[in-house]
Amino acid sequence: MGSQITLTMSLVFIALFTIAIFGFAIGFATDNDAAISITQDPDVNSFRTDITGNASGFATDSQGTYNSILDTTIEPGSDVAQSTGPFAVSISNLISVGKNVISLPRKAIFGDGGGFAIFFTTFAAVIVFLFALFLYKTLRGNP
Amino acid sequence: MGYLYELPNATTGVDTILSQTTTSFPGFVPLILFFIFAVVFIGGITRQKIRTGTADYSAWAIIASMATLLPALLFSVSAGFIRLDWLVIVVSLTVLSAIWFFLDRRSSEV
Repeated sequence: MGSQITLTMSLVFIALFTIAIFGFAIGFATDNDAAISITQDPDVNSFRTDITGNASGFATDSQGTYNSILDTTIEPGSDVAQSTGPFAVSISNLISVGKNVISLPRKAIFGDGGGFAIFFTTFAAVIVFLFALFLYKTLRGNP
Repeated sequence: MGYLYELPNATTGVDTILSQTTTSFPGFVPLILFFIFAVVFIGGITRQKIRTGTADYSAWAIIASMATLLPALLFSVSAGFIRLDWLVIVVSLTVLSAIWFFLDRRSSEV
């Protein structure tokens, strides 16, 4: 990853890919009058609505940011713009994309129960354990 | 000689064979989908490692996911092949592979 541009591009492509896959699957089911369609799943429907809202929200934010850059004025004798608004690109919608995209597999695979929370807790515990071990071995060397 | 299950009757269509096999053994379709995913994923990684020395795991994951999603959608056309939760899981895994793929790219790549 690295830069903000790369991360933003990744999140945008994740959102667009997800919308495209869902559109394809739903269109396939509609065109072929399929017996099973992913729209029959309530989680999928709410997820699709959320992710589409995130993507359109990002588009609106981007337009607003671009317009604010165009409208920026710099007073004579001043070195900087009057506000930092034009340089604050809102990626809150994209962060929501990440949260929403993770939420669907969590519900589809692990269900609504606490299983996934235990998974995350254990995973975090492993990370903390490795970090502590790393610190110890760095300071004391291999015992 | 007796059989463990009734032999499929294909007089109404060849897909009846698949349908009746699924009825006798509900794990038939998931195993087929897992087989496709595993063959593409492991085969692609192995072959790429032999050819170039390194393997692009995330790219092969998304290719294998797409290769699994298409038969899963085909299975969804008729009732009795694939359950809704399996189809949602396949779609979810495709999305997860996409997350892995896009976050794994360097800025100079796709």
